[in-house]
Amino acid sequence: MNECYGCNTCKSADKPLEGFIAGLPMETSHHRVDSQSTKCGFGLQGVCCRLCANGPCRITPKSPRGICGANADTIVVRNLLRAVASGSGCYIHVVENTALNVKNIAKTKGEIKGVETLKRLADIFGIEESDVHKCAEAVADAVLRDLYLPEYEKMQLTEKLSYGPRYEKWKELGILPGGAKSEVFHGVVKCSTNLNSDPVNMLLDCLKLGISTGIHGLVLTNLLNDVVLGEPEIRTAPVGLRVIDPDYINIMITGHQHSMFTFLQTRLIDDDVKEKAKKAGAKGFKLVGCTCVGQDLQLRGAHYTEIFDGHAGNNYTSEAILATGGIDAVISEFNCTLPGIEPICDELKIKQICIDNVAKKANAELKEFDFENRAAVTEEIIDEIVEAYKARRGSVTMNLMKDHGNDNTLTGVSEVSLKKFLGGSWQPLIDLIVSGDIKGVAGVVGCSNLTAGGHDVLSVDLVKELIARDIIVLTAGCSSGGIENCGLMVPEAARYAGPKLRAVCEKLGIPPVLNFGPCLAIGRLEIVATELAEALKVDLPQLPLVLSAAQWLEEQALADGCYGLALGLPLHLGLPPFVTGSPVAVQVLTEDMKKLTGGHVIINSDAKASADILEKIIEEKRQGLNI
Amino acid sequence: MKYVIIGAGVAGIEAAKTIRKRDGAGEILIVSADTHVHSRCMLHKFIAGERDEQGLDFSEKDFFSKYNVEWKKGVRVEKVCPHTKEIQLDNGEEISYDKLLLAQGADSFIPPVGELRKASNVYGLRNLSDAQAIVKEAETAENVLVIGSGLVGLDAAYGLLERGKKITIVEMVDQILPVQLDAHGAEAYQKLFENAGVRFVLGRKASEAVCEPDGKIHKVTLDNGEELACDLLIVAAGVRPALACLEGSGIDCDRGVTVDASMKTSQEDVYAAGDITGLSGIWPNATDQGHVAGENMCGAAESYTDTYAIKNTINFFGLVTLCVGRIKTEEGDQIQIKEDKTQYKRVILKDGKVEGILLQGDISNSGTWQYLIKNKIDISGINKDIFDINFADFYQVKEDGGYQWR
Amino acid sequence: MKRIMIDHEKCDGCKNCSIACMQAHRETEGTVYDLDLTDPRNESRNYILKDADGHYRPLFCRHCDEPKCVEACMSGALSKDPKSGHVFYDETRCGSCFMCVMNCPYGVLKPDTVSKTKVIKCDFCVNAGEGPSCVASCPKQAIYVEEV
Repeated sequence: MNECYGCNTCKSADKPLEGFIAGLPMETSHHRVDSQSTKCGFGLQGVCCRLCANGPCRITPKSPRGICGANADTIVVRNLLRAVASGSGCYIHVVENTALNVKNIAKTKGEIKGVETLKRLADIFGIEESDVHKCAEAVADAVLRDLYLPEYEKMQLTEKLSYGPRYEKWKELGILPGGAKSEVFHGVVKCSTNLNSDPVNMLLDCLKLGISTGIHGLVLTNLLNDVVLGEPEIRTAPVGLRVIDPDYINIMITGHQHSMFTFLQTRLIDDDVKEKAKKAGAKGFKLVGCTCVGQDLQLRGAHYTEIFDGHAGNNYTSEAILATGGIDAVISEFNCTLPGIEPICDELKIKQICIDNVAKKANAELKEFDFENRAAVTEEIIDEIVEAYKARRGSVTMNLMKDHGNDNTLTGVSEVSLKKFLGGSWQPLIDLIVSGDIKGVAGVVGCSNLTAGGHDVLSVDLVKELIARDIIVLTAGCSSGGIENCGLMVPEAARYAGPKLRAVCEKLGIPPVLNFGPCLAIGRLEIVATELAEALKVDLPQLPLVLSAAQWLEEQALADGCYGLALGLPLHLGLPPFVTGSPVAVQVLTEDMKKLTGGHVIINSDAKASADILEKIIEEKRQGLNI
Repeated sequence: MKYVIIGAGVAGIEAAKTIRKRDGAGEILIVSADTHVHSRCMLHKFIAGERDEQGLDFSEKDFFSKYNVEWKKGVRVEKVCPHTKEIQLDNGEEISYDKLLLAQGADSFIPPVGELRKASNVYGLRNLSDAQAIVKEAETAENVLVIGSGLVGLDAAYGLLERGKKITIVEMVDQILPVQLDAHGAEAYQKLFENAGVRFVLGRKASEAVCEPDGKIHKVTLDNGEELACDLLIVAAGVRPALACLEGSGIDCDRGVTVDASMKTSQEDVYAAGDITGLSGIWPNATDQGHVAGENMCGAAESYTDTYAIKNTINFFGLVTLCVGRIKTEEGDQIQIKEDKTQYKRVILKDGKVEGILLQGDISNSGTWQYLIKNKIDISGINKDIFDINFADFYQVKEDGGYQWR
Repeated sequence: MKRIMIDHEKCDGCKNCSIACMQAHRETEGTVYDLDLTDPRNESRNYILKDADGHYRPLFCRHCDEPKCVEACMSGALSKDPKSGHVFYDETRCGSCFMCVMNCPYGVLKPDTVSKTKVIKCDFCVNAGEGPSCVASCPKQAIYVEEV
């Protein structure tokens, strides 16, 4: 017997990572997939109801209704609405904090790094204010005002931020959202015990939550972050476990709220703070990117070259990042911070600090982000991390993976930087699509999960299939982290593309997969899609554009997915979202939705078959456009 | 009808039980040197003092009265005479039979090295009487030398560790448990025994052992000249079928008594089962043979078909191992290994079939491996990690609810 | 004899049978609400396996007509009860050799996780009184008792 914790780890698209995890002496999520492999069929189909004391009720041939009388459709869609409301709540929490941070920074005359974005927002919102700080405050206030509206008052920014034909469609369907927080409240009420039992009515609520999530939670969070943290600039950067440099005090960051690191990330490179690191025996501090906030930092990495070396990995790579021994502290503010990192942190003496109590980890210290006392709190955090560094280094074994990942992943792609790259207009891209050099566009977004073939397996396989069919791929979310570590975002990855797309990539020196960064950037993809549609004078469902959340993991992804459906886009999922027990839900999501919004759900866990379906959809849309 | 069974091991006991189920009236007599029905696989528990003689009994409660079986114990059979249909005992008694079962097992083999066969402190570990003698000798002995590191040698050591003895084990080849395990799997047990205080001398043979005036061997010289002091020797160098009493009987013997599929010997009305046949030294096979012999002695026609015997389980210090099939690798093998801190698993595949499995640390639900191996099932079409293959992949339920391999 | 019959097509993999088995054999007092699902001493005697295509295949002791585990038992701990036909296990006699584990052709048996001294085996819930607990707990009637 050897030192490995367990030999039944799941597969990974990233083979070196798979081997690394299999050889670890501690347990990770990858080890637990096997022992959780027998799934409850009722749970998988979404037909288990625990909403009252009569439960759990399950649907079987002999018991087609729960004790209360709810049938499979009601049970399934109630569960789905609950998940979507919860997922929406997560993103609305993120945008709320982001807007508050922007407001506070503006009020205290802090640095506004993204003046262009601020101007853009002010224009959209109809704010006329020449002082950047006052303007930023007004923008933040406009967002917050919308978020706090009651459910019966429609949000004002929805129309301003959405594409005209879409807005009209939503209005027609009666799914324009009221205050985003109130919509979450409304959704949660609606699916409680013995309230709504109408599956279609509840599915419309899912769409409504999708809209508030997408426009406020996604689109606005990105732009507000750009205002205070800087706009993305296209460049190449290292990714993977190689970014961990043991000569530094390394802080792994996880979560979704980049604005919470505004002070810390600049303070860590001040001379007096670097001196603290040097006194402890390190060269200085480094932030190591993990999950979406790491993607956020990577996206804006041009502004943070000293403190940030690169993105190490996504959600299910986080345990491996810690297991290298090179990380001295974890600062987390949101998901996807796996509970599974806790015992690893304990074992490797890694300090865990949570700065938002919604994501307080069991054995972590809670040091809530406190704008007013940010200087003092930041100082306390830094001192504790230095102490952790001193206590652990030397006594903890290093298990680094210096050759993991790559050094030249293309990053910093946004709706603005990409257009700029193309010469300030979408026309070159449109021309390539029209000529067929690029057959279509696929957004491969969302998370990694461990059950759709293994860690990043379906996402990576699907991406390979799509680019081989000359379909350009744009990514946002943890999928980005997996795909970049697998080497599909380096310019040399052009060789995996079909001949036409390959020629385009080689000419431009870009990879066939463009990394938009965190899941929040699904909002940026939507802006790109909207601008393309505008240029072509068509509605979104007509574009040769598909979405895939191949390895969706969590409730937030379901809320994002509802946004995609509201936009009228075809949405591929690798695994069904616990709805297959309801014939109505399946019919509406996979078929009838086409008539409602133009979108629909495709469920397929095979990369090749999924790519075939998506390619066919793109071809049909091309025919529709006569191209 | 008079049935005589020589031997009270599992083959003899199982045969008696089977006969009684078939023939309620017949006379059944068991003749044995053993004075207690006991499981040879548990002798180490007796040596350790964990169980007494009764604790080793594997038979049903009140077996002899319940099944109306007569038992002559503490007697040895001197001669078997198929022509006159009688056997002669060492107390001079002659017993006639209608049907005879030879199930007297095997004897420990003491190799002809020095005066091992002559000394009074050298024992095999085969019968309860061996264990009793070892326990008695151990009262005064301090240094124990075990020759052979197979299951029996380790059993002896395991038992004597409980008595706080200093134990040295000499093994000819360079790993312990060479028949059951590969070097890596063996190492795990070696470490456990060493941590408990046992010393192993591997790759060495005993070359000289001389009796001292007290009739005992007090030191053994190895083939490299090293001398090992000892007061008690246990020789675990295998067993040989107990064929001595069959000389001149006309019963065909090869390595053991030759039998056909019905467990009948070359002589009419004489059957054999268990270790005396030399077919296998494995408990379940002996049980099966005893059962088949019993059926046929009563006129039923049953065959011993489940003959696969390259199988074992090991459990020392709570480390369990299962080994079925081939252990040595050869050219053309496809080997798959999985290992972590709780287990070591190795499978040998050839042409899509499993030829050997070794599971150490966790043998849960591992019974299917024997079936896969002995029936040479082609598993190449199963799209699964090989170690995850289980009965689900061959699942079939019969009308009566029993399982059946597909 | 009575046997737990299996209609595997009906199995949904909910593992209610496993929880019921754990509850029926727990050493402590209590109800299914306070059953410690993480305590390996509470391990189940039945299993829901999956084949390569992901189909659920319930694995339950068949109390075989010719039990291979009993044949392999060198201590007398395992025996087939002539009256009920069920194969019972007497922990006090067990020699912990696990030849029964090796010999069960369906892989039903396993050593206990905690001490590796006992065999984990179905006892048909003879001490529970009302037939096998797993059967009572199956929401799909995929398992049921029948005289065979």
